Amino acid sequence: MSLDLFNQVAVLVIFSINAVMLTVLVMLKVVHRHRRLDHDRRRTAYLGVLSRHLSMDDYNEPITETMAEDPAFLDALLDMRNALTGDDASTLGRIVNHHGIIQRQMRYLDSSWLLGRRLQAAVALAELGDEMSAETLMRHLDDPEPEIRIQCGRGLGRIRWTPAIDQIVSRFGTEIPWVSTRFSDTLVGYGAKATWPLLAYIRINHPYETQGVTLALRTLAQINDDQAVGPLLEILEESSDVEVRIATVYALGELGSPEALAALDALLDDDEWALRAKSASALGGLGDPAAISRLLHSMRDSNWWVRRSAAAAIAGLPGGIEALYTALDDEDPFAADAAAEALVDAGELVSARRRAEQEDALAEPLLAHMRSGWS
Amino acid sequence: MSWVGYATVAYFIAMQAYLLFLALVSAAALRRNHHLRRYGRVGEMLSSRTTPPVSIIIAAYNEEAGIVDAVRSMSIVRYPRFEIVVVNDGSNDGTLGALIETFQLEQVRIPYRPDLESAPVRAIYRGRSGVDITVIDKENGGRADALNAGINAARYPYVFCTDADVVLDPDCLVHSMQRVVEDRARTVGVGGNVRPLNGSRVQLGHIIEASVPKRLVPRMQILEYIRNFLASRPGWSWMNAVPIVSGAFGIWKRSVIVEVGGLTEGHMGEDMDLTMRIHRHLLDRGVPYRIVYEPAAVIWTEVPDNLRVLRRQRIRWHRGLMRVVSDFRGMTFNPRYRQMGMIAWPGFVLFEYLAPMIEFVGWFVVPTAWLLGALDTTALIWLLLIALGMGLLNSLIALVLDESFGFFNSPADTSRLIAVAVIENFGLRQMTVLWRIRAMLGGKGTRSWGNMERRGVTNLAGQQ
Amino acid sequence: MSEKKRILVADDSETIRALMQTALEGAGYEVVLAEDGLSAYELGSNGDYDLVIIDQLMPGLLGLDVVSRWHEEGMKTPVLMLTGVDDDRTAVESFDRGVVDYVRKPFRIPELMARIRMQI
Repeated sequence: MSLDLFNQVAVLVIFSINAVMLTVLVMLKVVHRHRRLDHDRRRTAYLGVLSRHLSMDDYNEPITETMAEDPAFLDALLDMRNALTGDDASTLGRIVNHHGIIQRQMRYLDSSWLLGRRLQAAVALAELGDEMSAETLMRHLDDPEPEIRIQCGRGLGRIRWTPAIDQIVSRFGTEIPWVSTRFSDTLVGYGAKATWPLLAYIRINHPYETQGVTLALRTLAQINDDQAVGPLLEILEESSDVEVRIATVYALGELGSPEALAALDALLDDDEWALRAKSASALGGLGDPAAISRLLHSMRDSNWWVRRSAAAAIAGLPGGIEALYTALDDEDPFAADAAAEALVDAGELVSARRRAEQEDALAEPLLAHMRSGWS
Repeated sequence: MSWVGYATVAYFIAMQAYLLFLALVSAAALRRNHHLRRYGRVGEMLSSRTTPPVSIIIAAYNEEAGIVDAVRSMSIVRYPRFEIVVVNDGSNDGTLGALIETFQLEQVRIPYRPDLESAPVRAIYRGRSGVDITVIDKENGGRADALNAGINAARYPYVFCTDADVVLDPDCLVHSMQRVVEDRARTVGVGGNVRPLNGSRVQLGHIIEASVPKRLVPRMQILEYIRNFLASRPGWSWMNAVPIVSGAFGIWKRSVIVEVGGLTEGHMGEDMDLTMRIHRHLLDRGVPYRIVYEPAAVIWTEVPDNLRVLRRQRIRWHRGLMRVVSDFRGMTFNPRYRQMGMIAWPGFVLFEYLAPMIEFVGWFVVPTAWLLGALDTTALIWLLLIALGMGLLNSLIALVLDESFGFFNSPADTSRLIAVAVIENFGLRQMTVLWRIRAMLGGKGTRSWGNMERRGVTNLAGQQ
Repeated sequence: MSEKKRILVADDSETIRALMQTALEGAGYEVVLAEDGLSAYELGSNGDYDLVIIDQLMPGLLGLDVVSRWHEEGMKTPVLMLTGVDDDRTAVESFDRGVVDYVRKPFRIPELMARIRMQI
């Protein structure tokens, strides 16, 4: 093939593709814009309709079949749902039930080819769904698209569908991290109902795997159910995995039960710095001023993070601020610095300056320390 | 047509194939992203307790006029927990004073741990008035040096390095940290989308309306940035081989930056240098990691308005690029560095770094050959048409990919962009090629904390 | 013959604006809408309103900033602030600047109406 012919063909091909691209671009712009403007216009109209349904008792403008099938209506519904709570939200729920919206979204979730539509369906079911959709949601906990799995978890949590708890917990260890984190948030929504399933999961799995177990522990921490304290203390004793123990200590701190005091106190001397630091923080969460003297001792730890955690923990305990002020004179300069940092973080510096203006003696040591230079 | 001509054509074809491949991959990634963005992620991240906190770090030198507004606009970014660390790099104007007064800062003596080296720190200030702000006052040392000091003082596990004069999209942190949360263990860096704000209306630190300016110079750059950020980066990100996380929008895991020793002062491509060093460091150690790019995380910045400033910027960028290519040449086709070493880096060097030289041949040598009679007219015209056509194609593909973001909608905007896609081939592109050749030939560099030129930030990783 | 009370509503969410407009007009108030901080500030400073309902977090000027400016200028109109998730820090500050009450989002329409009736 001669170069000339090659050139001609090449140019022809390239410019044809260019023409196609240009057309595609212009069409996208025009069509897109038109569709978007149209969608927005309808959405605004629907917001008006829904607002009237919500704020006027005797309002009965019909919601037509076309409206109910319109994705813009669903958008408006979801946005409205996010803005409201209580009775208003349940009024919206009635509108939803009345018009087959849930069923339609379940169908889309099961059988639509388009990712966008399935995702919208999952979000809609998550926000608006009820027991009718529970089974569909459970099924899609195994959906190939991670975001849909998350929404299904959310939906089940919102309708408080109890059989889902075990299903969700069992996925902690096998799910990809960000999905399981969202599942964790969902379980927190269940509250105390999730406590025993979580504990059971931890019990069974802690010798074998870490990721799911630590997530389960952190979930328990947020649920804040005292019943978990005893079992957690047992796990602390049984487990030899550092990550698991750290998460358990964290949970005990969040639960704040004095039963844990002895165990946490013992861990302040553990070999692992991360465990020492976490125990220090957890002791702060227990609220018992008896821990202060031990924590002051931890402020001399060789590891910076431990010192810092101990000081921050003290700051949160009754009588802690005063204790930190005395610690400013500690012969260990690192301990003194940790105390100063914790005091600053607790807002003491600002109030110290103010009190110094009013000539309050308590303010002096912190200001003096600040002026005295680095250690 | 000599072998030089054939080689040039072959190179152009190979380059086009590479760009098209990247564009296709980017298109797929953007499509999925578009759906996920629409439904629900933002709200969940904002209300979840496990959303990781971020330290926003900015370096400021003589920014008295704008620093307060900049910090204010950053402080209303939508994110549950973050702090702002401003590093005053030895300004000799009222920058520090303005900050202290507006945010009621108090000087504090807290242990400052210099994990990274930097010029001496003179004082540290903390504020308590609603905005969680820390100001580091230090002696002048340059942007990289200042950022290192800021990273030292940062309290949170993730740092967001950016500049004082950018305009943040309120959701930029949510979108980019979403990528971190997806894979907490492996994600060490996230890059965002940088868009020129020239021509757009900005009010009180927010883009009211994005539009395409009339002036050709900024207009061409809008197109360039779209090509680079939408038709290339998502593709690299999918391969986990992003060679540059822009200095204007780089979120990093703090511990990793400390491990590699922070940013390199005096490097004109310090952002690219950091990214490549982190790749190399983690690949050497066999640590599973990923550095990704999030196109929905947007930040707006002002780009040079005229040729003079643009020229200086591009020469500086290319010098930075040269240094990086030289520093990391050992990675080229080195199987130890996996897809980065075998695909992305060689592709980058070949088609982005070497491109100006080949284009120089295309735009200058070939016409010269024609003038000298070594090439006949028809061949010349065909070749030029091919080059024009391919350039136009890349631009159009990029514009199509940009559609899903919906920034430019008016007919005026669209036609201006299409117009510049054609016009840039008749002079502007050639000029950038000449500047890069100029950069390669060496000479006096321009490096200073000036207005547009102060940043050693290589926003664009090359020129397509 | 009593005139209608005028209420200025400022929120960047179209949904909230639509809701407020319908609910308030339905209850017999006259409603003026603003989409962001700056226009809220301009409308509020130049107009005569019986009540202002403003969102805490808007692009441009924060609700709190707008309220502060009004306070400095001596505006006497009571302000109701809509707040999102975790804004306790600003609560104290805002009460010093003329905000008379808070409504947390998401809210209930009857509750919102009750708080409005308490003010005007």
